[in-house]
Amino acid sequence: MKIRLSDKEEKKVFNLEKSIKQWRKSLNKNEALEDGYKEELECHLRDKIEHLMSHGASEEEAFQEALGKIGDASHIGGEFHKTNTRHLSGRPPWRKSLWMPGLLSSYFRIAFRKVRRQKIYSFINVAGLAVGIACCAVIILYVTNELTYDNFHKDVDRIYRIATHRINIVGEFWMSTTPAPLALDLKANYPQVEEVIRVVPPYENASHVLVVQGEKRFFENRVWFADPEIFRLFRMRFLQGDPATALVKPNAVVLTKEIVEKCFGEENPLGKTLQIELDYDIRPVKIQDFEITGIIENSPANTHLKYDMFISMATMLSNLSDFNEDWIIPKAKYTYIKLNPAVDVNFFEEQIQQIAKKYTDIYEERFNRKMDLYQYFLQPIKKIHMYSSNHREIEPSGNWYYIYIYSIIAFLILLIGCMNFMNLSAALSTMRTKEVGLRKVVGAQRRQLVWQFLGESLLITILGFIFALGLISLLLTFFNEMAGTELSLAGLKQPIVLLSLLGLLLFVSIGSGSYPAFILTSLKPASIFQGRLAPTSRGSMMQKFLVIGQFAISIFLVICSLTVFKQLNFMRGQALGFDLEQKLILRVKSNLGYFRRNYEAVKKDFLNYPSIIGATVSSSVPGDKSDSGYYMTTKKEDFKGASRLKVITMDYDFMPEYGIKMVAGRSFQREMGNDETGSYLINMAGVKELGFNSPEEAINKYYQASYHRITKRIIGVTDDFHYRGMQEVVEPLVMDIEDSLMNTLTLSITIENMDGLMAFVKNKWNEHFPGVPFEYSFLDDDFNREYRYEKQMGRLLSIITTLGLIIACLGLFGLASFVTQRRQKEIGIRKVLGASISDIVIMLSKKFVGLILISVLIASPLAWYSMNKWLQDFAYRIDMNLILFVIAAAAAWIIALLTVSFQAIRAASASPVNSLRDE
Amino acid sequence: MVSKVLAAASTKPVILSILTRGEIYGYQIIQNVIEVSGGTLEWSEGMLYPVLHRMEKEGSIQSQWRISENGRRRKYYRLTEKGRRELELEREQWMSVHKVLSKLWKPLPALD
Repeated sequence: MKIRLSDKEEKKVFNLEKSIKQWRKSLNKNEALEDGYKEELECHLRDKIEHLMSHGASEEEAFQEALGKIGDASHIGGEFHKTNTRHLSGRPPWRKSLWMPGLLSSYFRIAFRKVRRQKIYSFINVAGLAVGIACCAVIILYVTNELTYDNFHKDVDRIYRIATHRINIVGEFWMSTTPAPLALDLKANYPQVEEVIRVVPPYENASHVLVVQGEKRFFENRVWFADPEIFRLFRMRFLQGDPATALVKPNAVVLTKEIVEKCFGEENPLGKTLQIELDYDIRPVKIQDFEITGIIENSPANTHLKYDMFISMATMLSNLSDFNEDWIIPKAKYTYIKLNPAVDVNFFEEQIQQIAKKYTDIYEERFNRKMDLYQYFLQPIKKIHMYSSNHREIEPSGNWYYIYIYSIIAFLILLIGCMNFMNLSAALSTMRTKEVGLRKVVGAQRRQLVWQFLGESLLITILGFIFALGLISLLLTFFNEMAGTELSLAGLKQPIVLLSLLGLLLFVSIGSGSYPAFILTSLKPASIFQGRLAPTSRGSMMQKFLVIGQFAISIFLVICSLTVFKQLNFMRGQALGFDLEQKLILRVKSNLGYFRRNYEAVKKDFLNYPSIIGATVSSSVPGDKSDSGYYMTTKKEDFKGASRLKVITMDYDFMPEYGIKMVAGRSFQREMGNDETGSYLINMAGVKELGFNSPEEAINKYYQASYHRITKRIIGVTDDFHYRGMQEVVEPLVMDIEDSLMNTLTLSITIENMDGLMAFVKNKWNEHFPGVPFEYSFLDDDFNREYRYEKQMGRLLSIITTLGLIIACLGLFGLASFVTQRRQKEIGIRKVLGASISDIVIMLSKKFVGLILISVLIASPLAWYSMNKWLQDFAYRIDMNLILFVIAAAAAWIIALLTVSFQAIRAASASPVNSLRDE
Repeated sequence: MVSKVLAAASTKPVILSILTRGEIYGYQIIQNVIEVSGGTLEWSEGMLYPVLHRMEKEGSIQSQWRISENGRRRKYYRLTEKGRRELELEREQWMSVHKVLSKLWKPLPALD
């Protein structure tokens, strides 16, 4: 019975004879194969097929396998050639060489000619790329810096910092600090430890010391006491002096090159004396002589322990005799160790818990009091920067969030630059079809042409890189100031950075050169010369896509920067709940004891000047991110479950001077006589924290504070003023009159005659604090500095947005001018037939305007999503509203329209005679 | 698996040796090689015919078209006198190499 097959199935049925015939025909491609050869090969093929079929293969399978084994015409030809030639490469003569060095000069000549003749387009290309590359390079530097923190020390994988995990009734805390004697115990009892050193800042909460050198006096930050072995543990290069002995003696100091230049200029200071004022927290201030025993290279940017000066630990010991015995409070003392190779870190970590336990036991017995539970844990030094979130961290830890944001933004800019390049080269390359055709006719293979075009784009990219180098140093200065980093061009020398830049170079040149390289070279010479090349729909689709992409990114960035600015303005405009303006802040860093005893007299003295209208003293001022707090309890000496409130200690004048409003009760009043010994104020958040339903309820309740163990009465409740800025929710706060924490003097001033005022203040300062450098700031400046990150981002975004828009517009400009040029004759004819200038402008602009609308549609949801996410971090934030999007869209639209119509108007107002005349 | 270089070098002696067994056509040669070597010697099929043609040009083999039992035209190859001499030469060379290697690969006598 005959089965009728449908057309489709019939096609699928395999016909062996037909296939063999086809294959044999394909052998004709190789003219070297004579008939006899072909017959023999066919015979072989048939034998093989029969053989395979006798083993159960189907006709089709057998054919396919046999074919695979015997190979195609060029393969068979190649085999014939190989057995008959001694040619080393084995390249048969009918295959063209892919590498013709003779053509290189032609490629270069053409490429340079192109750059020279199309100056504007080349400029747009190179400029766009340069900006993108420069941004990327800066971000690469930033990211490398962040991620290579502390990895330059010798045997870095064996270096750890010991940190403390402290558990008490209030909760658990992780601290970077450890007791000072821990290092001694480790050294004596743990052979696994190869080196152990301590690094201690001069003060608990601050690291500045007053340095006196002849006439020069200044505060120096980043000063540390350190054990002499520090230079064995950390890599710090000595320029002068002996690292082994530099920090052995008391009153020895090692300076960085920078400080040496600051104090001594060109002189060699080794062995000279420097005076430093230290007050060891409790002792009276002392100015001591120090011998300079070493000079080291400046602190690198990628270490969490940045330094300007090291003072020998022996100095500390000779001034504070009980320093090595204080096990109780892990004050600001950092312990670093280097373990022997092959030590099991986890086991070692477990072992050292013994130390904590041993000393806790001793103390509990001696003082008959339950101690907090202390545990130690190891932090690999390499991970401190990005991963440590301990209290008392030496510098703020790195932020993955910013790494991501900056990377994304840099990538976006680069993308705009690349798209620009692609777009323009796509547009321009249609003018090069003839070149492609001719090269193909005289024997160029497609692969050669692909390499030629890719090479050209590499050339442009390299040009972009050269310009980018100039831009990088400019951008770096700006970025450093903004992000508070210390990146330098020297960082570009790191192998990993160089490697990334190389990757970038390849990525950009291949990405941007791909269109002409792959599309253009696929054209057939015949159709090129017949002029049958209407702009391909594929090409113009891609151009549209690129314009949309560029503008989508730009609009996205516009919306983002508008949002950031709006949020910033919102935060600045919010009622803070206190007076910010015209407050002069003097922070007392030296002679604190004098200040705390005599601040009322100091205030009175300053108030003698007419334009100083008020003065107050406190432990911190609004905007300070101080973490000081009290545990407050109603029970005596029992802080179990106590509430923690942040604390600002102040004098009687603080509340009126800062204009803070009371919600219930009264403020501190001198007339009441005993407020300094018996009263607290709390804020509304404090009311909630302590468990009251209304502010009135909290009044007259008694609380004991952990800090001074004195029981006082709540006499008033303040408004929730934003004492820590607008980024954070107002936290519970207690206000107390407590002299021992005072360190800031606020002067309320009027701004006429600032010069006289400042001269007076400086004079008075020198009277009360002789020898202490006069430093001041204005509260509103300080406060606005708290918005540094947001401002940073706002500024970064606005610059990026502007750059992005400029590049995108350049691209659009180039494209529009190209399109207009190609349609010049059409425009001429239209004008002759009576079209007006506006008709033509509309005709030319219409297409682009539509594209912008599409980009708006793409960019808006993305921007909405990411900005919403960003805003979540703020306690008080704006709502995303439609107006922003409309503004961004309108801005992009107008800019694009202006760009395009500039070209369009020029083309439309040209006389048709010029475009239609054909000579 | 025999390396490419060695396979190429042994092509000629192997073909000559197979042809001593009588007239044979290309596909059979390939089959023979697979059988005898147990698959350790793998020839690319495209390589065989160029080699056969060159050997014919050099005069060590002769070819003849015949009609086979299934009516297809096939080219058979056979050895010439010159081919036999060449095979002898090849055999001597390969055997001398073989001898050297087998001597070298014998366990070393103890040196004391």
